[in-house]
Amino acid sequence: MKELSLNILDIAQNSIKAGAAHIDVLLDETAETLCLTIRDDGCGMTAEVVRSVTDPFYTTRTTRSVGMGIPLLKLAAEQTGGTFSIESVSEQDDPVRHGTCVQALFNKNHLDFTPLGDVVSTVCTLIQGAPSVDWHFCHTYGEHSAAVDTAEMRQVLGDVPLDSFEVLDWIRQSLLEEYAGFDTQ
Amino acid sequence: MTVEQLAQCDGMCALACPAPEREICGVYIGDLLSWVMGRAEADNVWITIMSNVNIIAVAALADTACIILAEGVTLEPSVLETAMAKEINVLQSAKPIYETALLLHELC
Repeated sequence: MKELSLNILDIAQNSIKAGAAHIDVLLDETAETLCLTIRDDGCGMTAEVVRSVTDPFYTTRTTRSVGMGIPLLKLAAEQTGGTFSIESVSEQDDPVRHGTCVQALFNKNHLDFTPLGDVVSTVCTLIQGAPSVDWHFCHTYGEHSAAVDTAEMRQVLGDVPLDSFEVLDWIRQSLLEEYAGFDTQ
Repeated sequence: MTVEQLAQCDGMCALACPAPEREICGVYIGDLLSWVMGRAEADNVWITIMSNVNIIAVAALADTACIILAEGVTLEPSVLETAMAKEINVLQSAKPIYETALLLHELC
């Protein structure tokens, strides 16, 4: 993928499909590194499935024999000399604390680092696509941060749906304003 | 032209040829796998320098006739095994991508 934000979109879709009620999308950035964490409380996977998801020939879809979301994210991280990990607890193994956590660490200064791209659009697309999920997005870079928490927003908004145009537009503007403070974006 | 015939041409070397009778039609060049996945067409020769196992998956999805690894790029034994198991032809060219493409232009 030409932009990491497209990888984020792809991986977060897995969390939605896993029936997650709460999904964290976290970006922790320094001058040298970018750490992406996508954590959900979805149905999780058994140890065997976790081992196979980095295999490009594994997929949960039945229409084809190849699932590329996780392998491509792993490749994108590793080709910058970074690391990739995935941990999961399945609902069968633990009916209370189940879910999946995908983490990818990138060396930003490596020539093969893929730019983050339009992450604001990605976040808005995810919220619009699954408005009932509690989304927590947070991008930190030194003292700067850009964040949105739809569980908090829902308490303030009451009956106004999260996927209404006005709310999504407000989220977009608010994230863009926060990003304007990132001087090295 | 079939993959087997292509493999026998000067400058080409077969690394894995589980489906030698496949007919070649057209060429696609690219290294960004997600990009190739959506653009390479069935029966294309796909020229790349990428060599991780994901290329086998991309070739399977796009149903390309064969992969050509340019610049003398080689595959890990485990990736070659996957190529054989998934019936993906993989050739190698010692030349850079552009020269490899020129050779294909002459041949096809």
